[in-house]
Amino acid sequence: MSHQLKNRGEEGGGTRGQARSGSLGTGDRSRRTPSMKRTRPAEKAPSRHRSQPGQKERAGGSPGSSSPRRKQAERRGRRELLGDRERGSAEKTCGGRRRKDGRASLREQRAPSKKEKEARRKEEMWKQLKKHRSSSMASSTSSGESLSEEELARILEQVEDKKKLIASMRSKPWPMARKLAELREAQEFVEKYEGALGKGRGKRLYAYRMLMAKKWVKFKRDFDNFKTQCIPWEMKIKDIESHFGSSVASYFIFLRWMYGVNLVLFGLIFGLVIIPEVLMGMPYGSIPRKTVPRAEEEKAMDFSVLWDFEGYIKYSALFYGYYNNQRTIGWLRYRLPMAYFMVGVSVFGYSLMIVIRSMASNNQGSTSEGESDNFTFSFKMFTSWDYLIGNSDTADNKYASITTSFKESIVDEQESNKEENVHLTRFLRVLANFLIICCLCGSGYLIYFVVKRSQEFSKMQNVSWYERNEVEIVMSLLGMFCPPLFETIAALENYHPRIGLKWQLGRIFALFLGNLYTFLLALMDDVHLKLSNEETIKNITHWTLFHYYNSSGWNESVPRLPLHPADVPRGSCWETAVGIEFMRLTVSDMLVTYITILLGDFLRACFVRFMNYCWCWDLEAGFPSYAEFDISGNVLGLIFNQGMIWMGSFYAPGLVGINVLRLLTSMYFQCWAVMSSNVPHERVFKASRSNNFYMGLLLLVLFLSLLPVAYTIMSLPPSFDCGPFSGKNRMYDVIQETVENDFPTFLGKIFAFLANPGLIIPAILLMFLAIYYLNSVSKSLSRANAQLRKKIQALREVEKSHKSVKGRATPRDSEDTDKGNSKNGTQLTKEGTAHHPASQSQTLDQKAQGPGASSSARKTVLLASQHLPVSRAPGVRPDSGQARPQVHPWRSTSGKRAWRPPH
Amino acid sequence: MGSRSSHAARIPDVDSIRRETGFSQASLLRLYHRFRALDRTGKGYLSRMDLQQIEALAVNPLGDRIIDSFFPDGSLRLDFPGFVRVLAHFRPVDEEEDGNRDPKEPEPLNSRMNKLRFAFQLYDLDRDGKISRHEMLQVLRLMVGVQVTEEQLESIADRTVQEADEDGDGAVSFLEFTKSLEKMNIEQKMSIRILK
Repeated sequence: MSHQLKNRGEEGGGTRGQARSGSLGTGDRSRRTPSMKRTRPAEKAPSRHRSQPGQKERAGGSPGSSSPRRKQAERRGRRELLGDRERGSAEKTCGGRRRKDGRASLREQRAPSKKEKEARRKEEMWKQLKKHRSSSMASSTSSGESLSEEELARILEQVEDKKKLIASMRSKPWPMARKLAELREAQEFVEKYEGALGKGRGKRLYAYRMLMAKKWVKFKRDFDNFKTQCIPWEMKIKDIESHFGSSVASYFIFLRWMYGVNLVLFGLIFGLVIIPEVLMGMPYGSIPRKTVPRAEEEKAMDFSVLWDFEGYIKYSALFYGYYNNQRTIGWLRYRLPMAYFMVGVSVFGYSLMIVIRSMASNNQGSTSEGESDNFTFSFKMFTSWDYLIGNSDTADNKYASITTSFKESIVDEQESNKEENVHLTRFLRVLANFLIICCLCGSGYLIYFVVKRSQEFSKMQNVSWYERNEVEIVMSLLGMFCPPLFETIAALENYHPRIGLKWQLGRIFALFLGNLYTFLLALMDDVHLKLSNEETIKNITHWTLFHYYNSSGWNESVPRLPLHPADVPRGSCWETAVGIEFMRLTVSDMLVTYITILLGDFLRACFVRFMNYCWCWDLEAGFPSYAEFDISGNVLGLIFNQGMIWMGSFYAPGLVGINVLRLLTSMYFQCWAVMSSNVPHERVFKASRSNNFYMGLLLLVLFLSLLPVAYTIMSLPPSFDCGPFSGKNRMYDVIQETVENDFPTFLGKIFAFLANPGLIIPAILLMFLAIYYLNSVSKSLSRANAQLRKKIQALREVEKSHKSVKGRATPRDSEDTDKGNSKNGTQLTKEGTAHHPASQSQTLDQKAQGPGASSSARKTVLLASQHLPVSRAPGVRPDSGQARPQVHPWRSTSGKRAWRPPH
Repeated sequence: MGSRSSHAARIPDVDSIRRETGFSQASLLRLYHRFRALDRTGKGYLSRMDLQQIEALAVNPLGDRIIDSFFPDGSLRLDFPGFVRVLAHFRPVDEEEDGNRDPKEPEPLNSRMNKLRFAFQLYDLDRDGKISRHEMLQVLRLMVGVQVTEEQLESIADRTVQEADEDGDGAVSFLEFTKSLEKMNIEQKMSIRILK
C-alpha cells in the first residue's frame, strides 16, 4: 500500500498510471488468490487487442471508430464484473483494495476534470505525510509494487497516529487555524485509508462509494454509447457522407430532422384530434356529415375513387368534414372543436419554434469553430487516419472519406485561387438570371392556365383521367424538368459549387413557390365559388328536412322514421375539398419523386452498367453516365412538401400521417438509391457548416404557408354542415365560446381586456423595440467577434512576416544556418506572442530556464536529440540526417541573440 | 500462462526498462504478455511477419511505415526492450509527472515532442529530417489510392508543403511539422489509455 502511495508522490500523476497495474495484480497476490489466474485470460484479451502500436485515442466521429469503442466498453464491463465478484469473495486484503483504488483511479483519468482534484489532494496529503514521517519510507519505493507486511503496518501506524492526533488535538498548543487544518487533514486521511486497510467503520462505506463511483462512470459511458446508437440512420448517413461528401449528407441530415419534426406533429394531431374522435365521437353513419351520400354510395369503395381520396376516405376522420360540432364528446367531455383549433395553431407554433431554435443553435456552432483554416491540408495529411480501425469495411469507408475530404478541400482551394474575367462573368450571370426569370414566369403562367382549365373540367361530368389530374401532372413535370434546365443555365455563372447550390436552391424555390401560389389562388377561387353556392344548398337542406317531416299527411299515428343520413342533401364542404386537394398533391408528388428516382437513377445506372459491355462508346464515361445526386431538387422537394403539409394539415388531419410514411420510405429508398446508382459529384464540395440556408428556406415556406391558413380561419365562414366549427360565424369563435362557457367569468373579462386594441398595439410596439435592441446587440457582438478573429489573423501574419524578414536579413552563408535561424525564430515568436497551449512543453521549458532563454531552444532540440539514440536501438546509421537538427541551434545561437524581436 | 509468465521478474532487465520508459510494472507485464503472444513461434523476438499479422495494421495505409518504425535500423529482430521503447511513445502524458521531472533528465519518451517525432518518422521515409514533396506524395497515394488523379494529388502535396513550409526549402522539417500540428491535441491523440 504505502508503496503505491509513494509512487504517487514520486511520479505525480502516476497514481493514475498505476491503474491497470493494480487490476492485474502482482506476483504475491496472484499467488494468494488462485482465482485471479483464471480470470486473467479474459482480461488479457482486451489488453492485447488494445495495446497495439499506433493506436490512437479518438473521440469518435469517424464511422469506424464507434464499434471498436463499443467493444471496448463491453469488455471493460466484463472485467469489472469479474473484479466485483472477486472483491465480493473473501479477498479483503489490502491487495483487493488496491485493485479497487487502481481501477477507480483509472476512471479518474477518464473523467479528469472531476476527479483529478481528489487525486491531487491525496497526493499532497501524502507528500506532507512524507515530510512528517521522516525519510525512512522513501527507501522502500524502488522495485516491486506489492505491499509488504511492513508497509501495511506502517500505514496502520499512521492511521493510528492520526487518530491519536485527533483525540489530543484539543490540548495541543497550536493556533486555532492550524488546529482546524490539521484536524481536517487527519480526519480525511483516516477516512480514506482506514477503509482501505479493511479496518474500522469506513470500510464498507468506502467500498460502497468506490463501487458506486465505478458503476456511475460505467453507466455514463454506456449511456453515451447508447445515445449514439439511438440516433437513427446515423450509420447510413455516415456511409453516404464518406462516399459522397458532406453536401449530400447534409440533405439526409435535413431529411432526418424533418422526420423528427413530423413525428412530433403527427403525435400532436393523432393524439389530440384523430384518436379522440375515433374513440369517443359519433360513429360512422350516424349523422349526414359522417355518411357517404346516396349518390356516391355505389362507387364509394372503388379503388379509383379511393385513390382520389373520395368515397369512404373522404368521409373519414382523415378530413375536416368528418368532425362534428358537438361541444364535448364522450364520457371525458373532451372539447373536440376546441382541441381541433388549438392543435391547428400549435402545429404552426411548434414548427416555428423548432425551426428558429435549430437555426439559432446552428449559428452558435458556426461561430465557435472556423479557426482551423490554416493548416487544412497538413491536418488532413498527417492526422486523418483513424488508427483504431481494425475492420476492412470500415477501412474502406475511411479511405473513401479521406479521399472525399481531400477533394472537398481541393475544390475550395481552386475556387479561392481562381482568377477570371470579371466583365464576362458579370455578363453571363445577368444573362443566366434573365433566362431563368423567363422560365419562372412561363411556368407560373402555365400553372395558372392549367388550374383555370381544371376548374372548367370539374364542372363537366365525363372527364378523362388526364383531365382530372392535369394540374398535378403539369406541376410534377415542371418540377422534374425545370431544375435541370436551371442547372444548365447556372453553369454559365461559374460560381463556387457551394454558392451555386444556394442560387439553384433559390431559383427552384421561386419556381415551387410560384407553383404553390398559383395553385393556392386557383383553390381560393374554387372555395369562394363553393361558399357562394352554400346559401342555396343550405336552404335546400332546410326545405328538404322540413318537407320530409311535414308532408307526412297520411299516417299521423305512426311516427316517421328519421330521414336516413345518406339522403340528406348537403353542402360542398370546401374545407374537405381543400384537404383532399393537398392530400392528392402530396401523394402524387411522392410518387413522382420515387418514379423519377427509379427511372432517372436506378434504370439509368443499370443501363449504363450492363449495356456498357456491348455499346459503341463508353457509357460510363461518356454521354449518359451515372446520375449525380440532385441536392437542390431534393432539398426543395422536401421543403415544399413540408409547406403543403403545414397548409393542408388543418383541413386534412391525416395528412401528417401520410407525410411521416413518405419521409420514412424516402429515407430508406433514397439512401439505397444514392448508394446503388449515383456517383459522387464531379466536384465534391464541403457543405457549409450549418445548413441554415435550408432552414431559412423552410422558415420562409412556413411563414408563407401560414398565410393562407390564417386567412381562411380568420375571414372565411366555415361550412354550415361539416367540420367541428359548423354553425359558427368564424372558426376562431370556438375560443370565445370556450372562454365564455367553461372559464370563470373573471377570466373571460381578462381575455376581453387583453384583446383590447389599446393593449395590443403597445405590446406590438414593445416587441418591435425588443427585436431592434436584440438585433443591434447581436450585430455589435458579431462585429466584435469578427474583429477579434481579424486580430488573431493579423498576429499570425506578423509572425510569418517576421520570419521571412529574418530569413532574408541573415546572410545566407550556408543553408544550414539559415534554416536554424528561422527555426529559432519560430520559437522566439512563440515565446513572445502566441502562448498557444500546444506549445506548452516548449514554453514551459523556456520558463524554467528563466532569463537564459537563449539556450532554451537549444535545450529542446538537445533533449529530443539526446533521446534519439534511445528511441532507436544501438547501431543506427551514423550519418542519417537525424543528427543534423542538433547542429543548428549551436551554430545559430549567436545570431539569434542579435536579432531577438522586440516583443 | 501459468505462474511462469505472470511474474514480473521473468522479464529481462525490468528495472532499466522501467526507468527508461516510465511504464508501470503491470503494464510492462501486460506488454510482455502481448509480446509473447505476437511472437508465435516462441523465438524470443518479433519479426516483421509477426507484426503484419495484426489486423489493424494490415488495413492501415501506413501500416508498413509503422512496422518499419519498430525496426529502426533495418534490423530484422525486435526484442522486448525495443518493443516497449516504441510503445512508450504512446503512454499518456501526465502533467504532474512533467512538473516533478528533474530538468537534467532526458525528456521522457512520451513527451509531446517525442510523440510528434514518432509521427514525423512515419512520413520521413529516407530519415533525412525532412518530409519532402515526394515523400508526401507517396503517403497520399497510400491514403487515397487511385480515386484521385495524380494531378490533384500533386496539388494537395504542394498545398501541404506550402502551408507548412516556412523556410522555403520545399520540404517540411520537423519543426515545421510541429508548428503545423500545433493545434492538434497530440498529447491526447497519440496516447493509448491503457499504456499507463
